[in-house]
Amino acid sequence: MTEGSNYDYLFKVVLIGDSGVGKSNLLSRFTRNEFNLETKSTIGVEFATRSINVDGKVVKAQIWDTAGQERYRAITAAYYRGAVGALLVYDISKHATYVDVTRWLKELRDHADNNIVIMLVGNKSDLKHLRAVPTEEAKTFAAENGLSFIETSALDASNVEAAFQTILTDIYRIVSSKSLEQSADAIQAPKGDTITVTPSVDTTQQQGSKCC
Amino acid sequence: MLTSLLTVFTEPLVCILAALTHNTDPLHLISRRTGKAKSSEDPLSGRASPESNQSPERLQRERSIRTNRRHRFINCLLQEDIDIAALRKLAWQGVPNDLRPIVWPLLLGYMPLPCPLRSSTLKRKREEYASLVEVTFARDRRGLDQQIWHQIEIDVPRTRPGVRLWMHACTQRSLERILYVWAIRHPASGYVQGINDLATPFFQVFLSAYIDSEVEDFDPTLLPSNVLSAIEADSFWCLSRLLDGIQDNYIAGQPGIHRSVKRMAELVARIDPPLAAHLASQNVEFMQFAFRWMNCLLMREISVRNTIRMWDTYLAEGADAFSQFHLYVCSAFLVKWSEKLRQMDFQGIIMFLQSLPTQGWTDHDIEMLLSEAFVLSSTWHNAQSHFNGK
Repeated sequence: MTEGSNYDYLFKVVLIGDSGVGKSNLLSRFTRNEFNLETKSTIGVEFATRSINVDGKVVKAQIWDTAGQERYRAITAAYYRGAVGALLVYDISKHATYVDVTRWLKELRDHADNNIVIMLVGNKSDLKHLRAVPTEEAKTFAAENGLSFIETSALDASNVEAAFQTILTDIYRIVSSKSLEQSADAIQAPKGDTITVTPSVDTTQQQGSKCC
Repeated sequence: MLTSLLTVFTEPLVCILAALTHNTDPLHLISRRTGKAKSSEDPLSGRASPESNQSPERLQRERSIRTNRRHRFINCLLQEDIDIAALRKLAWQGVPNDLRPIVWPLLLGYMPLPCPLRSSTLKRKREEYASLVEVTFARDRRGLDQQIWHQIEIDVPRTRPGVRLWMHACTQRSLERILYVWAIRHPASGYVQGINDLATPFFQVFLSAYIDSEVEDFDPTLLPSNVLSAIEADSFWCLSRLLDGIQDNYIAGQPGIHRSVKRMAELVARIDPPLAAHLASQNVEFMQFAFRWMNCLLMREISVRNTIRMWDTYLAEGADAFSQFHLYVCSAFLVKWSEKLRQMDFQGIIMFLQSLPTQGWTDHDIEMLLSEAFVLSSTWHNAQSHFNGK
């Protein structure tokens, strides 16, 4: 069960957004290349991982999928701990889910680390005929709020890979530049800035306190 | 099958049965069953089980145990005023499939124990539900609480996805009404995701009283509308009774779940210290997996068939079993995988616990689990001071 330990960086990323916007399918598309029209609602949190390459480094994403219903917020707040990235998902065919993005941002500000990297994701881009949120509007909103932005379709797989690749690369850039600042010898402590939820040899260092 | 029952004990049992079916239905359903039963070789044996690869002696023995149990159930149910203690004792060990639609409402207190009251009570409750539905949906959809309705609308199509019964529009409309009417009558919680799952065992059990074929493949539009209404109403009232015992799980902040998860963690630390230590060393928090176990009463971990068998025992245990006894069941359930879990790291543990290998579980596995939970609860339930910090 330690097959997943061959990585240079481990980043915890949370998937948040209203109920029914497709968070679980984004996760299954990215981690297992699967899409299921008949998915049960997520209760509590669910978890999956996948490793990708960034600049020749193995970056392992540990992704927590959360339940979207308001009632669960008190519980899911605990899952923001240690998260370095968040995919804030809405459904391009349901305007109300886009309106709620503001509320989710507030939630992140209240519960997550200040430096969390946030990407706004307009999912279900395959539902072109039902589009209720113009791309430009969301793009502008994202820019104004310092978020990156992408439209995806977990159903036809478009941009799902790109969404995760982008956010993980963004996180990697921040983390690796920080470790350069902090230590002249980044090679000696390559995992010094690994945000990990599993104890490993290196977690006794300062970042260990960020363990989930 | 109700069939066999009716053949042998026509008169008094019809009283019970009639209470369930008569008002709505249609004697033709009953007579159809009776007719079929007469052609059956052994009307007391109940549903046939796959018996091909077992020794004849063992088969014989199991058959006779089953027959015996049926006899005792039937004797109990035939009382003019049912002895609830005796019924609980029997039901703890599991209820025969065909008697469950009668036994569950009795255990839940939905159907009165004295025979003469049953029929009239059911009639009244079904009418009451019908009028609740009528009042609630009197105006068009704009008259509904949009937030609650919206969430129910999202969740109903993804309740038991892929199962034919639940993919029928007709079943989905029933479920919507059940959930919405319950939610607006319980404003402190409203509808919370997962309650949809809890409605399904009731609906399937009550449906099984009216049909002979496989419940999950059944097309409910084949039923007369008054029968469907009765199934829906009975499901609503029984779900309400179940939820009465665990309302704390669904109100703001979900304190019931927090309490249960905390107690479960404390209990596991007592009964399996190496496992508790390993989970702690891997930074696994109970809330990360047990939240779902409490919120959906393990329905995401085991099959509906398993759940139904489990609820026989829960209902026999009494009103607070879904919060109290369930805690012991969850603890026993976790400890069952102890050896495997102790070999895994954080990721392995979380992944394993979110897709447990219970697909092949039979009644026997559930009964083992229940027995283990019973031992735990007998040992620990009145030993609060053993829990840390209590």
